[in-house]
Amino acid sequence: MSSSWSFNTKAIHSGYTRDPATGATSVPIYQTASFSYPTAEALADVFTGRKYGHVYSRISNPTVAALEARYTALESGIGAIALASGMAAISAALEALCEVGDHLVASSGLFGGTLHLLKEVLTRRGITTTFVDLSDIDGFRAAITPSTKALIVEVIGNPKLDVADLGALAAVCHDNGIPLVVDNTLTTSYLFNAKQWGADIVVNCLGKFVAGNGNTIGGIVVDTGKFDWSNSRSPLVKEFSEKFGNFAFIAATRKHIVVNTGACMAPLNAYLLMMGLESLGLRMERHCDNALGLALYFQKSSKIVEVRYPGLPGHAQTTLVQAQFNGKGGAVLTIRLGSKERAYHAMNALKMVSIATNLGDAKTLAIHVASTIYRNFTDEERQSAGVYDDLIRISVGIEGIQDIIADFDQALSGLE
Amino acid sequence: MEITINGDKTTVDGVNISVSDLLKIRNVDMPDMVSVEVNGTILERSEFDSTQVGDGDQVEFLYFMGGGR
Repeated sequence: MSSSWSFNTKAIHSGYTRDPATGATSVPIYQTASFSYPTAEALADVFTGRKYGHVYSRISNPTVAALEARYTALESGIGAIALASGMAAISAALEALCEVGDHLVASSGLFGGTLHLLKEVLTRRGITTTFVDLSDIDGFRAAITPSTKALIVEVIGNPKLDVADLGALAAVCHDNGIPLVVDNTLTTSYLFNAKQWGADIVVNCLGKFVAGNGNTIGGIVVDTGKFDWSNSRSPLVKEFSEKFGNFAFIAATRKHIVVNTGACMAPLNAYLLMMGLESLGLRMERHCDNALGLALYFQKSSKIVEVRYPGLPGHAQTTLVQAQFNGKGGAVLTIRLGSKERAYHAMNALKMVSIATNLGDAKTLAIHVASTIYRNFTDEERQSAGVYDDLIRISVGIEGIQDIIADFDQALSGLE
Repeated sequence: MEITINGDKTTVDGVNISVSDLLKIRNVDMPDMVSVEVNGTILERSEFDSTQVGDGDQVEFLYFMGGGR
């Protein structure tokens, strides 16, 4: 692997070249629970980490390790852990950083699952979170307390579609000696180089754009290698830094959290995600082109109250989109239709577009967010996350753009 | 020179060599993923080139892939 390779070359060649046993060019699916060794000493050496290898697929697996190595290269990181889902990835990262009595600072427009994790799950475990509007950099700075262990934001908020000023947020974090955790799911490492903009830990729900076909779920945690864990505020990670140096966070997350909580990725899912990664760059270009095309169509439609898409010239944070994502707005947009009834009516009239709770699929998907992902939140919480009764979130696929527009056009034609 | 690697006394050609060279000479698997401790002190990866290992030194290689701590 060459660190000078372009993204698309790394996505195809890094982390795995050929199977040493058979020469297989696609990564084999090592569908096995355990790995045997010729002697008790040899197994003990691998188990204790003195030798490289695999002992049990809850701890590590060659197919999963190939995905971890490839994704590490794409984020220019030092190590990664693949997990059963994106939520498992976020949970594991925060569990490694926080313990009872600790505090997090997060943006308010987060994905519903992450909001639930912070508000309902971690709170009951004695870990509290202060939520700040993504654009309020001074608010983030003011929210940090001596107990704060990390700041977590989505690069593009889902479904609020606000854009983080990552350079400013990284400065706030590093002035206070805490890591910046970013969820790069909507942007992926293709659109956004998290390390370059100061992120310390990257999480991604791989089942979205990396899978690309909606055929699996999975998540990953990556350490970009920028944070000095020997000065970590997190006792567990600091303890691991005495033995693992730069790898302290990854080692603590894998060896203390993931190994003992068990949300490991299945080898088949790692294989599917490896295949998905190879075409991620090509697909993201098409996703972005199609999303912009659809957003421009909605902008001209008299049936639409509001269209929100980071790639539209009128978006409030166009400067950040230009600087951080080279002007690409991703594949997700939202429209408001004036009422829940109108939103449902339009969705029910769609013929090609699927009504489904996913994004990043090759297929265009639409969802009424307020009655599904955000159904358990208060009106106030929904508004702060940019969720309204008349809002539809659309994940724009890679079909022909004329067909996507035609389906929405016929669906909207039934509205007054 | 004789150094102790992961508890085993090992003869290595040379007088003083860098940790980076030691990783190559010992053909250590996945060198990008290994933590190295010399005489009880964990090294930053940026120190692998500049840190010398000599006769009698104790070296530990440790991967974050294994099971327990």
